[in-house]
Amino acid sequence: MLRRIAAREFLERVRDGRLYWAGGLILALLLTALAVGFAHQRAAQAEQKAAQAMDYQDWLHQDHRHPHDAAHQGMHAFKPEPALSILDPGINPYIGSTIWLQAHRQSEVKFNPAQDATGLQRFGNLSVGWILQVLGPLLIIVLGFNAFAGEREQGILRQTLSLGVEPLRLLGGKALALAGCAGALLLPAALVAGAALAVVAEPGERADTLLRFAFLGLGYAAYLGIWIFVVLGVSAASRTSRVAITVLLALWIAQAVMAPRILSEASRLAHPSATRLAFNQALAADLKATSDRVWLQNFGTTERWGADVPLRQWGIALRLDDQASYPVYDRHFARLWDTWEQQQRLQEWSGLVVPVLSMRAFSMGLAGTDFAHHRDFAVAAEQHRRHIQDLMSADLVKHADPLGDQHFAYQASPELWASVPPFHYHKPRLGWALGRQALSLAVLCLGLVLAAAFAAAAVRRQSAL
Amino acid sequence: MLKASGLTKRYGAHTALDHLDLDVGPGDIYCLLGANGAGKTTTVNLFLNFIAPSEGEASINGIDVTAHPVATKQHVAYIPEMVSLYPTLSGLENLRFFSALATGRELPRERLLELLDQVGLDRAAADQRVRGYSKGMRQKVWIAVALAKEAKALLLDEPTSGLDPHAASEFSALLQQAARHGVAVLTTTHDLFHAQQTATRIGIMKKGRLVESLAGEQIARTDLQALYLQHMRG
Repeated sequence: MLRRIAAREFLERVRDGRLYWAGGLILALLLTALAVGFAHQRAAQAEQKAAQAMDYQDWLHQDHRHPHDAAHQGMHAFKPEPALSILDPGINPYIGSTIWLQAHRQSEVKFNPAQDATGLQRFGNLSVGWILQVLGPLLIIVLGFNAFAGEREQGILRQTLSLGVEPLRLLGGKALALAGCAGALLLPAALVAGAALAVVAEPGERADTLLRFAFLGLGYAAYLGIWIFVVLGVSAASRTSRVAITVLLALWIAQAVMAPRILSEASRLAHPSATRLAFNQALAADLKATSDRVWLQNFGTTERWGADVPLRQWGIALRLDDQASYPVYDRHFARLWDTWEQQQRLQEWSGLVVPVLSMRAFSMGLAGTDFAHHRDFAVAAEQHRRHIQDLMSADLVKHADPLGDQHFAYQASPELWASVPPFHYHKPRLGWALGRQALSLAVLCLGLVLAAAFAAAAVRRQSAL
Repeated sequence: MLKASGLTKRYGAHTALDHLDLDVGPGDIYCLLGANGAGKTTTVNLFLNFIAPSEGEASINGIDVTAHPVATKQHVAYIPEMVSLYPTLSGLENLRFFSALATGRELPRERLLELLDQVGLDRAAADQRVRGYSKGMRQKVWIAVALAKEAKALLLDEPTSGLDPHAASEFSALLQQAARHGVAVLTTTHDLFHAQQTATRIGIMKKGRLVESLAGEQIARTDLQALYLQHMRG
C-alpha cells in the first residue's frame, strides 16, 4: 500500500509540473554550482601546488647567508583546497589560504578569496551545499505543502480515509514520494559529483574523499528527511493549503535567513571571543613576560640583544627565546580557537530547532572546509615553522656562536636550506572528521526522529473534514 | 449491519444529533430525510468516525466505530455528495488507485473496465484525466470503487444531489441492485421522489432528532411530501 500511495503521489507531482519546474530549476542550479565548484577547485589546487613548489625553490635557492636572515625570509604554507570543496567551500573563501612561516611569530592565515571578490559576492556563493541547505527545503515545501491540507480541502482525504487506510500509511507513502522526488533530482547530480570528485581527489585521498562524500549524502538525506516530515506534519495540521504554505514559508524564512544570524550573535554573546586588538595585546604582553623570564634566568638581564649578552651566545639566546614562545603561542591561539569552537558547538546544538545549522556544520566538516580542518592545517604549518626555526638556531649555535664577535660573519651554505623539508600537508581522514562532527550528526538524526514523531502525531490527530 | 444506539453529537450548547437509534440490516435501503442542519450528514460522519460522538455508539457489523475506526471501514463504502478525484489521473487510474487502497490488491485492467461499464462510464472517458469530468462521471468512478470494495454496507451523503434525472435513476437502480445482494444502505437525501422510489425504510429528521419512521408498505401508501412538510412546519 505504501508503494502505491508513493507511486500515485510521485506521478501527480510529475503530471502537475511541479517536479519539472521547481525540481528542474534546482537541478540546473546544482549542476551549475557543481561546474563552478569543480573549475574553482581545480584552479585553486593548481595554484596552491605551483605556489608551494615555487616558494620551496626560493628557499632552496638562497645564496650563502646568515641562517637567521633565512629564518626571517621563511617559507609559506599554502592551504590545499580539498576535493569536496567543489560541493561545500565552507569557511575557505573567508578565512584565507596562506600562512607565512617567519621567524619569531606565529602568523595568521592571509589572502582569503573574498578579499579579491567583486561586490556581487556579497550575495553569497552559489555552492551545492548552499543550494541543498537553503533551497532544498524550499523545494520540499513546494512539492509537499498541500499533501494533506489540499486533499482535505478537495474532499479526497475524507474519501481515502473512508476506505480504511491507516493514516500513518498515508504519511509513509507521501513521505516516500517526496523522498523519491528529491532522489530523482539529486541522484543524477550525485553521480556527476561523484565522478568529479574522483577526478579532482589526490590519488592517495580518493577513497577517503568518496567515503566522505557518501557520509555527506547521508547527512543531507537526514536533513531533507527532517524537512519532508515537517512539511507533511504542517500540512496535516493545517486546515487549508494556504495556511500550510504560509506557515511553512515562515518556517523557511526563519531558518534560512533569520535564525543563522540570530544564533551566530547569540553564540558570540554566550562565548565572547577577544577582538584582534585585545588578542594581539595579550599575546604580546605574555610573550614579553615569558621572554623576560627566560633572559633573566639564562643571561641575568631582561634587555634583549644588548651588550649584556655576548655575541657568542646569540645563537643560544635565539633558540631559547623562540622555544619559550612556542607554549605562549599555543596557549593563546588554543584559547581563541577553543572559543570559536564553543560558538560553533552552540550553533550545532541549535540544529534541534534550526536544522540548517547542524547541516551546515556537518557539511563543512565532511567537506574538510570547516574551522576544525583549518585549525589542523594552521597547527601543521606552525609545526613546520618551528622546525625551520629550530634548524636555523641549531646551525647558529653550532657554527656562528663559536665565531664570537664574528658571529654575523657566518654564512650558511645551501646545504642547510636543503635540510629543511618541503611543507606537505595531508588533511585528516574521515574518522577524524566524523569524530568532530558527531554532535552535528547526532542532532540531525535526533531532529529526523522528532520531525517524524511530529508528523505522525499531526496525521493521527488530523481531521478528515 | 449499521447500528446507532443513543448516538448524540453536541457542539458546545448546540446538539447536532440527539440520541439517534437506528438499525439498518442487510438488504435495507434506509433514506434519511430532513432539512439542512437536521443531523443527516452528522450521522454519516459519526458512522465513519470522522467526528467523535458526544454520547452513544455507532457500530458497523457489530464493531464500535470509535474503538476500531480502521477495522469498521473495511465493511463500509462511502459515497459523498461531491466526489473528488485526483485531477491529474484518468478515471481508470483513479479507480485503480482507490480500489487498490480499498481491497489491498491491484485489480487487473479488464476488471476495472468491467466495473466502469457496470456503473455506466463511457470507455472512451475512462482513459481521460478526470479534470474534465462532470459531477456524475466522478460519482460513477467512486461508485465503481465502492463496487470493487464489495462492502457489506453503503453510506451515502446526498448522492443524487446535482445529478440529472437519468443519472439519478441509474443511481437508484444501482442501489437497489446492491441491496438485492444483501448490502445495507444508509443514504441521506433531500430528494423525496428518489427516496420513495428506492427506500425500504425512511426516516425524517428534524433538529437532530428522528421524528418519523416509515417502513415497507407504509412508504408507498404515504403522501411523503405532505408528511415531510408537516414535520418541517411543525
